[in-house]
Amino acid sequence: MAPKPHRVLLDRVSGYADEAAAYMRRRRVSRRPFARLYYAGGKAEDHATDSATGGELFVAAGKLIEVAGKKS
Amino acid sequence: MPDDAATTTVSGDAAEGALAYLTEMSPDLRGAAILGGDGAVLAASGDATRWREDAATLLDVADRGGEPVEQVHIGTEQGEVFALRHAGLAAVAVTDRFALASLTFFDMRAVLRDLANGKPHPTLTPPEGGKSRKRNRKVGRDGP
Repeated sequence: MAPKPHRVLLDRVSGYADEAAAYMRRRRVSRRPFARLYYAGGKAEDHATDSATGGELFVAAGKLIEVAGKKS
Repeated sequence: MPDDAATTTVSGDAAEGALAYLTEMSPDLRGAAILGGDGAVLAASGDATRWREDAATLLDVADRGGEPVEQVHIGTEQGEVFALRHAGLAAVAVTDRFALASLTFFDMRAVLRDLANGKPHPTLTPPEGGKSRKRNRKVGRDGP
């Protein structure tokens, strides 16, 4: 049996809404600040922004970004 | 400090050439500095004293984990910071957001390796009217 026309419309709208929500979620994740340290043996560490080391790394990075200035 | 095994002696001119090469290679680069084994700035785009102080702070904080860090990658809303130690030297670079990290580290490592080996860097600037060899890495933005 063919679905009722309004069902088709609702499915389509909710499909677009799902796509948009997924896009926003991905965008939010990719825009989140991060601090990663890599060591000689291949070990890597991720430091959260609210950790002590992470906070200091972000402050140091901020100063370097300030020194570098804007791209000419 | 850039590297414990720092035995490389690099002239300021060679470092300046390497920095110019790195800047030409990386379209996303805003600024960078190359540091010697003792933490002194060999070449920098801008205020060398501030680059030395801020790079030393970054590497000191990164080294607090116990072992010396080899690579640092920090992404913020304002831009991204890369630091790399190689062959007794260190390079620190600041790029726009979403720069390709692996390529940036590759370029930095290549520059430091060549610098440590005493290999001069050719300039990529094309002759007038010629085609630029500069890579376009603006993936998904305004690239082709």
